[in-house]
Amino acid sequence: MEAVATTNAKDLWSGGDSPFKVSYGKIMMWYFLISDTFTFAGLLISYGAIRTSQPKHDAANPLSWPDPNEVFNAGPGFHNAPLIFVTFMTFTLILSSVTMVRAVQEGHQMNRSGVLKWMAFTILGGLVFVGSQAWEWSHLIEEGMTPHGNPFGASSFGALFFLITGFHGFHVSVGVLLNSWAFISTYRGVFDRRGHYEMIEKLGLYWHFVDLVWVYVFLAFYLF
Amino acid sequence: MSTLTQEESRKRVWRVCGILAVVTAVEIAAALIHYNYMHDSPKSFLNILFVVLSAAKAYYIMSEFMHLKYELKPMVISILAPFLFLVWGIIAFLWEGHYWLSEKELWHILK
Repeated sequence: MEAVATTNAKDLWSGGDSPFKVSYGKIMMWYFLISDTFTFAGLLISYGAIRTSQPKHDAANPLSWPDPNEVFNAGPGFHNAPLIFVTFMTFTLILSSVTMVRAVQEGHQMNRSGVLKWMAFTILGGLVFVGSQAWEWSHLIEEGMTPHGNPFGASSFGALFFLITGFHGFHVSVGVLLNSWAFISTYRGVFDRRGHYEMIEKLGLYWHFVDLVWVYVFLAFYLF
Repeated sequence: MSTLTQEESRKRVWRVCGILAVVTAVEIAAALIHYNYMHDSPKSFLNILFVVLSAAKAYYIMSEFMHLKYELKPMVISILAPFLFLVWGIIAFLWEGHYWLSEKELWHILK
């Protein structure tokens, strides 16, 4: 089922067999993702601490925490529809995760055209997500939200929103670039010549991680 | 180290996709029902529901999409164990946030 990479693995690892029967590259990707989890957790926990130090939402108090249903209530061409646009964004990211798994599965079968097809869908999903986020940012900036103030309530809300969704959007953008590079490499037959599609698997881990982080960004900003 | 056939794992992916979509839809529906019809009631019960449902989504993404369910157990433990620190982090910093709020109220910093 799994073509374990042997390219220079011994040189890099110097430890004989791969521990846990997982290749060098995948373990390193997991290491990176664990450290990245702590970065995001640091940001989200700061968000939690700052938010709990503000009064709960109260329309009469401009220092209270904003109600997400009132902040995120518009999309391209519609408004007064709370959370609808972010639902679309969330579904887009879930679907692009699914197409990524399909690309990994086609890679296991060494099916180049299958990998190309599903990678194309994954990249498209990533682009739609980043584009949607760009729309949402510019909409909120138009409404008067800045890192040091906003018309909805507590001023730290804007700073935390731009910082955390920005950092997540940056991850998605990097993912789209890496996936595009992998798409081109697949098209040029690099992985066929290498004898395995492990690169797609590693990028898959990264891409699912971005989806996983979104679950918590979504929870913190849009649901709570 | 998958023991599933190609066909099975393909089906499983779409099933997990369905689960994630349904859980997200339930979250949104619950949030909107609260906003539209129960606006004045406290949100704490709903927030517990959101935490549980998000944990379920995280479980499916990690176990199925990131393939962790099919890796060897020591690997799964070595990846998940560090996250126990986060449990402490969340409790400690939310506690601290509440303390800041009570200090502000005590000194009348908030109107």
